Amino acid sequence: MRYLKEILSSRELLLNLTLREIRGKYKRTIFGQLWSLANPLALMLIYTFVFGFIFRITPAPGDPSGLDVFALWLLCGLLPWTFFANVVSQGLNSLVANATLIQKVSFKRIVLPLSLVGAAGYNWLFEMVVLVVALSIIGAFVLPWLPLLLVIMLLLMVFAAGVALMLSIANVYFRDTQYFLSIILQMWLYLTPIIYPLSLVQEQSKRIGGLFGSPITIEGIFTVNPMVHFVEVFRNLLYDNRWPGLSEWLVCTAWAAGALVVGVIVFRRNERRLAEVL
Amino acid sequence: MNDIAVRVDGVSKSFRLYHERNQTIKAAIMRRRTSVHEDFWALRDVTFNVPRGSTFGLIGSNGSGKSTLLKCLANIYYPNTGTITHNGKIAAMLEVGSGFHSELSGRENIFLNGSILGMSKKEVLSKYDEIVEFSGVEQFIDQPVKNYSSGMYVRLGFAIAINVNPDILIVDEVLAVGDAEFQEKCVGKFDELKMAGKTVILVSHSMEAVETMCDQAAWLSHGELKAVGEARSTISAYLDSLDSAGS
Repeated sequence: MRYLKEILSSRELLLNLTLREIRGKYKRTIFGQLWSLANPLALMLIYTFVFGFIFRITPAPGDPSGLDVFALWLLCGLLPWTFFANVVSQGLNSLVANATLIQKVSFKRIVLPLSLVGAAGYNWLFEMVVLVVALSIIGAFVLPWLPLLLVIMLLLMVFAAGVALMLSIANVYFRDTQYFLSIILQMWLYLTPIIYPLSLVQEQSKRIGGLFGSPITIEGIFTVNPMVHFVEVFRNLLYDNRWPGLSEWLVCTAWAAGALVVGVIVFRRNERRLAEVL
Repeated sequence: MNDIAVRVDGVSKSFRLYHERNQTIKAAIMRRRTSVHEDFWALRDVTFNVPRGSTFGLIGSNGSGKSTLLKCLANIYYPNTGTITHNGKIAAMLEVGSGFHSELSGRENIFLNGSILGMSKKEVLSKYDEIVEFSGVEQFIDQPVKNYSSGMYVRLGFAIAINVNPDILIVDEVLAVGDAEFQEKCVGKFDELKMAGKTVILVSHSMEAVETMCDQAAWLSHGELKAVGEARSTISAYLDSLDSAGS
């Protein structure tokens, strides 16, 4: 609790570092902030072509929204994922990248990874606004779900922050972490129902039944992945326009809280030694 | 009690000297260790007090532990044993301009750097004109700092750091920045701080600078405190030891 107070006392620094990231990122580019849309749009185009058009993945139409557009359905899961992947991969590097600053100035080290969460969150918010506008034009009734959307966005931010805190420390001791992570993130993306619907996994899981005679099913293993639940909630709110069910909320909240607590504990344990080991 | 700004009490600090360092997961798993090391004591049981309102010099040869001690004072390193207590707000100037973002303007960097050094936005605003004037880069304040000459860069960094307005200021060999005119300004600023009753702790290899600026000094050699007290006598003890070692 006292630690939270200390973090709160350096909120001005956190804000300034976040602004540094945001302002510095697209400096000297012609399109500026629009670049933050370029990456998800490119992914959307290629995934829609490959998986929507060639593989013919057809997710069920939004219920009750009635939407049936693969590209938008994809983006509802893809934008949260790219945010998460950005936070984790940038946050991981935040301590190593600022090594000279850490060795020369005394300040709360935790603001370095957290400022990246803030900067990535700002870009994400921008992307989500564009998505909500696009959904509304197509005919989804997203407006009443916006407050809940903000809540789940906050939960995903907390979850991502917790993971980033742990990995930023790990990367100080083992520089392998960053290379490892890029592989993990690629596998993680495909193991999360972002470019295919969860129903396909459920079907296959039912067909096979319990693995090796045990009650453990493929679906059971699959849903251990926290991102499965986050993506479900995002799709329910944005694409289907319905209440995602309490259990999904609880799972997401538990993962977010757990990641944050472990992340902060790990960070705090190692914070003081950073100037020496970097 | 109240006339002591910093109390250094039995401070020891060791570093690991690595004979081999292999910071990979493979090494950690296969060999169950990432390194072979022995401890090197950079500071051994150092004890002294810095009186409030004094300018305090740390002297000693290269590798004597001055910078380590300075970093311990600045809360960047944490001593293995012993304690450091300070009465009042402390600020350290170990490197000027660390934390500048090269693409951002001088103005934006003043606010960014100020907050890294622990100033609130209000404090920066109230000091803003003074910082700009002191640095002498008014004309270029809205240019990105990557276009600054190295002198301008350092002067801006120094101007921010000196205006943090701490009770205790820690300075590491950064007095040698800028041209003669700027140096003069710096000396003036240090005098001003002294008049205001602030404590300054500085490391320097220039005995001349230490002698003119400091009233107290501590001499470190191989991590141990050799002498502490009035600046002139400490300096001559240090210089004598160099002479006798040389002859």
